[in-house]
Amino acid sequence: MIITLIYRAIVALVLIFTIWNLFTEKKVALQANAALVVIPLILRFLMIK
Amino acid sequence: MCIELIIFIAMVAVFAAGCFWLKLPVSISMVISAIVGALIGGQGIPIRHLVEGTFSYVDTILVIACAMIFMKVLQENGSLDALSCMIVERFHKVPALLLCLIMLVIMFPGMITGSSTAAVLSAGSIMMPVLILMGIPKLETGCIIAMGGILGMIAPPVNIPAMLIGGGVDLPYVGFEGPLALLTFPLAFLFVLMFGFKYVKHLDYEAIRQKMNTESREKYGFRNYIPILVCVFLMILNKAVPAIPDLGMPLVFLISAIVGLFTGKKVPVLKTAKEAINTVLPVLGILMGVGMFIQIMTLTGVRGFIVNVCLSIPDAWRYLAMAISIPLFGAVSSYGASSVLGVPFLLAFLAKNQVITAAAISLIASLGDMMPPTALAGIFAAQVVGVKKYTDILKKCLVPAIIMLVWATIIIVFSPQLAKII
Amino acid sequence: MGKKNVISATICLVAALTIATVTGKNFMDVKAPDTLHPSANVTETKMLSDYFGDLKGTNSDTPIYVFKGSKPGGSMLILGGTHPNEPAGYLAAVAFLENVKVDQGTVYVIPRACNSGFTNNDAQEASPQYLHFTNKNGQERQFRYGSRAANPVDQWPDPDVYIHAGSGQQLSGSETRNLNRCYPGRPDGNLMEKTAYAIVQLIKNEGVDLTFDLHESSPEYPVNDATVAHEKCMDFAAEGMLELQMEGINMSLEPSPTNLHGLTHRELGDYTNTYPILMEAPNASQGRLRGATNEEMALTGKDKFYVSAAKLGFVYVPYDENGHPIEERVGRHLQGIIEYTKAFSSIHSDKPVSFENVPGYEEMFTDTDPSQLGGPHFGSFLN
Repeated sequence: MIITLIYRAIVALVLIFTIWNLFTEKKVALQANAALVVIPLILRFLMIK
Repeated sequence: MCIELIIFIAMVAVFAAGCFWLKLPVSISMVISAIVGALIGGQGIPIRHLVEGTFSYVDTILVIACAMIFMKVLQENGSLDALSCMIVERFHKVPALLLCLIMLVIMFPGMITGSSTAAVLSAGSIMMPVLILMGIPKLETGCIIAMGGILGMIAPPVNIPAMLIGGGVDLPYVGFEGPLALLTFPLAFLFVLMFGFKYVKHLDYEAIRQKMNTESREKYGFRNYIPILVCVFLMILNKAVPAIPDLGMPLVFLISAIVGLFTGKKVPVLKTAKEAINTVLPVLGILMGVGMFIQIMTLTGVRGFIVNVCLSIPDAWRYLAMAISIPLFGAVSSYGASSVLGVPFLLAFLAKNQVITAAAISLIASLGDMMPPTALAGIFAAQVVGVKKYTDILKKCLVPAIIMLVWATIIIVFSPQLAKII
Repeated sequence: MGKKNVISATICLVAALTIATVTGKNFMDVKAPDTLHPSANVTETKMLSDYFGDLKGTNSDTPIYVFKGSKPGGSMLILGGTHPNEPAGYLAAVAFLENVKVDQGTVYVIPRACNSGFTNNDAQEASPQYLHFTNKNGQERQFRYGSRAANPVDQWPDPDVYIHAGSGQQLSGSETRNLNRCYPGRPDGNLMEKTAYAIVQLIKNEGVDLTFDLHESSPEYPVNDATVAHEKCMDFAAEGMLELQMEGINMSLEPSPTNLHGLTHRELGDYTNTYPILMEAPNASQGRLRGATNEEMALTGKDKFYVSAAKLGFVYVPYDENGHPIEERVGRHLQGIIEYTKAFSSIHSDKPVSFENVPGYEEMFTDTDPSQLGGPHFGSFLN
């Protein structure tokens, strides 16, 4: 379904900006916070879960 | 003391220690407390459960992220300024009516999508400059937007908590419009006037005009409103014509944001999108932490313990138990509270009218979006208006919240009589 | 961006990727279908995609076990696993197909009607991933405990509101993945609507006369220990229910609500010539009042919170310290199939179905050493 592909692209977009923010964030605790968000996004992008 | 209570106390204590003593982010504190809960419950560190719990919020993450991108684009391209100027110019002579209209506009995305976050971040952020221009302080503006968001989520036609509660007892989502309208619109008008009327009673239009940023409006004219109109059109489209597949809120916001790139001032795309995600990352992290927290509560039996305690309270106190426990559990999410506690409470009130009771319970559940640590409506309203501590908004909304609880309870008590009228 | 900053960011990202890899492998592993061992009397194994080609290659394609009797007669379909978090619905179909010998007519068994749901577990429900048994040969068998609805990755995203195609009924968006809200289905719909459509095609093409949909419900749900039947089934369903009650099974009979759409007992009755029957048994592991969630609870049904909730009058089935073991719940379903089929065959004598060797309620539950309940005894019926 094309809508699913579009949503995977949206997940990829949010994932990329999350990882970018992870690297520009100065506080380690907030980096860990961003890393937390990465986990489900990557699993959904790969359509594993 | 039963093991579930011990685990619950330990989880709450670890969470509080993480937040207030170690000054860790809320999300990280929740992860640690979930791990501690699992360890005490004899589950080791169940990584699969921790990660699985977060998946309740993957769609919510996308709505929030895309809504924030949309909002930042409208800020950058000047659409927000232009719209504020236009509204104030047209309606400044009838301030009470203007306030009620603004409240309806804030509620609208919530009414269509069933999401308070969508309402606060889209229409809330669009109406924010208008309210500020009219002289309403930031804090009160935040309160109006937050309450508009959660009442919009409950107002008809789309109310996801009511659907979730109804779904738990096979109650079709039919005949909810009247009760939901009665539950929400009177309160919405009351609250917006409560928070705003004293500031706009004597509106000085000339003074406001000086403060208005009219540059965008003059330069781009009608083009300013196109992204907002596209957003409204796409939101309504699927609801009005079910044959057209639902695009979903994230895509609606993204399409509207893309349109916004071409209708006003030049927007630095990458920088704006990165900033938008940076703004929402703490909340996204909290949602992940909450997901893990609730999964461990379920795994260890703490969730069942809480539901049982709430239900085992004697009949006379059950209304109070519901009014306290559902919003408290709503800290996890108002949808979660609707499903986990809303359904058993609806069953406990079987003697009442089911549709009206389910509608009223959904109103109570909506307050979960004002309950820390998630408090999505409160947090985003604070972000929209630029109030540093979102808890200030929550404190200010305490009285309206109590009014909502009392109103919902009255409606449940008199639901058999109301059913004959509505 | 300082060097220290990059190092800590890299560590955080690597940690996230490691966790995603470890859990991702686990989430992939649960997608492998359970191996079933049908009885020697199986005549054919088909796939649901044989009835609607669009399902081929999707997670919704699922085996159909066909048992043809030596004598001609009517035909019957058993749907197990419509909701993969209701284990007795799945395992009753498994126990049936691993033991049955059909004498008259044809029996179709789809043990995993919502196959997609078996590849997933619901977030925040903390369900066990597998249920384990030792079979009659002393070997270990494992069966998936899945999610109520289809796997979100097979049909993503959900709409805000699910509008049932035939009736316009509105439900929360996640119900769009609930197979038992999608009947009669449509060929150009989403995966669950296509799955429902394929099952309807099977019923129409094979002329299925009698359909069973096997479920479980949480003890606090009002429709429990119950049969829900389309109004056209009432004559034989009433007769079957009386038989069940005489055998000591507490079973109520409820007519399918006319205003609740998308369910087998409503739509299969309205849109096809089959006689649809849905049965519910009590399952604590899907309830909202349950305590610690694990495999043992799913198999024994023992739960202290349900015992106390029963004392307060919040549940719709009797609940005590003995719980409701899997043998009782599966036994109810199997005895239900036996009795309703007999009653159907006696009233509709032109399309009789008869079979043997299926363990009933007594064999599965009441005549059993209580220490063997909660899994061991059920395992003894598996090949």
